[in-house]
Amino acid sequence: MGEGETLELLELRGISKEYKTGRSAVKALSEIDLTVKRGEFVSIMGPSGSGKSTLLNVIGCLDRPTAGEYSLDGMKVERLSDDRLSEIRNKYIGFVFQSFHLLQGLDALGNVELPLIYRGMGAAERRKRAKEALEAVGLLDRVHHRPSELSGGEQQRVAIARALAQEPLLILADEPTGSLDSRTGRTIMELFQKLNAERGITVVMVTHDGEMARYGKRIVRLLDGRIEREEIL
Amino acid sequence: MKILNSWRSFWVRFLFAAQMAWQGVAINPLRAGLTILGVAIGVASVVSLMGIGEGARIAVVRQFESLGSNVIVIKAHDAKAEFEPEEAEELLERVSGLKYASPVVRTNAVLRWRRARGQVEVLGVSSDFPELRDHKLASGRFFTKWHVEQRSPVAVVGYNIGAGLLGGRSPVGHTFTLNGQTYRIVGVLERKGSGQAEGIDDKVVVPYTTALKIAGRRTVDELWVKAESPKAAELAIAQLGRIYRRKLGLDVTAPKAGGGGQQMPGEEGKANPEGTSPPIPRPPAQEGQGQGEKPALELGKDIITITNLNTLVEEADKANRIMTLLLGGIAAVSLLVGGLGIMNIMLVAVTERTGEIGVRRALGAKKFDLLLQFLMEAFYLSGIGAALGTLLGMWGVNVFNNYGFSAVVSMDAVKVAVFVALGCGLLFGVYPAWTAASVPPVEALRR
Ligand SMILES: Nc1ncnc2c1ncn2[C@@H]1O[C@H](COP(=O)(O)OP(=O)(O)OP(=O)(O)O)[C@@H](O)[C@H]1O
Ligand SMILES: [Mg+2]
Repeated sequence: MGEGETLELLELRGISKEYKTGRSAVKALSEIDLTVKRGEFVSIMGPSGSGKSTLLNVIGCLDRPTAGEYSLDGMKVERLSDDRLSEIRNKYIGFVFQSFHLLQGLDALGNVELPLIYRGMGAAERRKRAKEALEAVGLLDRVHHRPSELSGGEQQRVAIARALAQEPLLILADEPTGSLDSRTGRTIMELFQKLNAERGITVVMVTHDGEMARYGKRIVRLLDGRIEREEIL
Repeated sequence: MKILNSWRSFWVRFLFAAQMAWQGVAINPLRAGLTILGVAIGVASVVSLMGIGEGARIAVVRQFESLGSNVIVIKAHDAKAEFEPEEAEELLERVSGLKYASPVVRTNAVLRWRRARGQVEVLGVSSDFPELRDHKLASGRFFTKWHVEQRSPVAVVGYNIGAGLLGGRSPVGHTFTLNGQTYRIVGVLERKGSGQAEGIDDKVVVPYTTALKIAGRRTVDELWVKAESPKAAELAIAQLGRIYRRKLGLDVTAPKAGGGGQQMPGEEGKANPEGTSPPIPRPPAQEGQGQGEKPALELGKDIITITNLNTLVEEADKANRIMTLLLGGIAAVSLLVGGLGIMNIMLVAVTERTGEIGVRRALGAKKFDLLLQFLMEAFYLSGIGAALGTLLGMWGVNVFNNYGFSAVVSMDAVKVAVFVALGCGLLFGVYPAWTAASVPPVEALRR
């Protein structure tokens, strides 16, 4: 990693997130302290509504916490502008979602190219990179398929290829196997494991499934917006 | 190098936004089509309605202009006030700034050409006619002062008559008869077009002395004079007013008529507020006037009108411009409705594609990228609408013309309509695009 001076990639200090709905306020996260080192594979578990997705969104710079400090690769995120956050997501963070979130109007290749376009990369280079990424997830024969012409597992692999093409420091996955059967789920997890081991990409993954969680090296358990406990595997 | 890179990067994103915007249009062709149609109808109605207005304006202006520039028409509306034909010539000396003058005799005669015969309108004028009316000759020459003095039986024929006599060959040098008297054709006037210059194309022009003979009269009820310049015409109008007021025995200072034209009323000055008399107002009691028992000069009626044609042109032009704008304004309402259609459809599109917006934002799209994308989508809708509407409007102008209008496709109208349509597109696109750009990424991803 080019700018890797610090060992800690993610540092969350006293992160809270409060939602105000009408009169009542929901505290989705309260005073989370969490550190993730480079090259780690962390699984986040917890019951529904415990704040897993909220935490992942904060880590992914998609959402701002109401309180606390968060630094990503040494950058104080709360001080950064909206545009700068876009750039950070684009450069450092690959997202993989439960419902894939591919654009229906683009084929597999187009979807994988998408983050590179917002980076302003020229057509030839991004095509090459996108193809390499699709090859890495074993989908080179599906390059011109639209999402609607792909199976769930294939769609999730396109999403992973999209993250891969970004050459990110960090992949954030919110229940990546939630919409897949357990066998397909396992192939996806193996893919994450491989990327983590071979390319040193840090992975933070939310899951309900204990079996999937064990692909990580560390499990963080959330309850009511707090870290209940951590296990090192 | 850095600047070059960031420029290239911008270009990549711009092209992509354009491409995505096009996808947004194409993904729902029926919806896009209806929206475009809304804009197109708006633009088409602006173009065609303003076309009608503009066409009317041009027609009126051309009609006045075909009468010659800087021409002043002096008209008597009462037999007692009629002019000696020689007065025209005298006016040239008495009024400064006048260059040409002619008495005008209008009458009818039976024209006989070989076997054929028919009624024609005969116009009697002086030899100043071509310069006065800015009217060139297609062939031959105009008759001269000498012809006028000699009451020569010579004629210059209007274009249509000239073309009709010998099937297109110039009839100059041939003769025909008017009321039995033989006339030599010395010239053919250039074509003015149907309805232009009082229908001169179908008239026969002869020396006024000759025409008086045909009509059996000694005096004329109309004089034309031409000034050197528009400015001179305005000054001449004032002088002419004074001359004729004095001639009618009116107090010279009484009427305070200004600018364009003046009336000589029977007793008290009743200047019309614009200072311009209607082209040829005929007092309604005209027919009953020769009876003798009526007073020579009727109270409160215009006896002589002096009209500066320049002023008439300007006023007709102004009135028609206002009409054109009015028509355009009415049509612009439908353009506005078209613009609202764009806004409506764009708001729907933003709502529908919120999830997509979230994905783009998560992957690194900036607010600007989304703003650009949705603005361009609105721009496509309005742009295609404007182009289609312009064609539709041109076709509409054509249709109107088939129904007897003289509409024109005015470039001004097209420019205004296209500009307004694109402006509408942007204006009504900005809000939805801004909405799209401002959805927080998390919110957007939840959909
Ligand atoms: N936009 C919002 N407005 C109000 N409350 C919200 C909002 N988003 C999340 N919450 C609340 O915050 C809490 C945590 O939500 P979150 O989505 O992080 O849970 P989760 O752990 O991901 O649950 P699940 O496993 O069901 O996905 C929940 O109680 C939820 O109701
Ligand atoms: Mg969740």
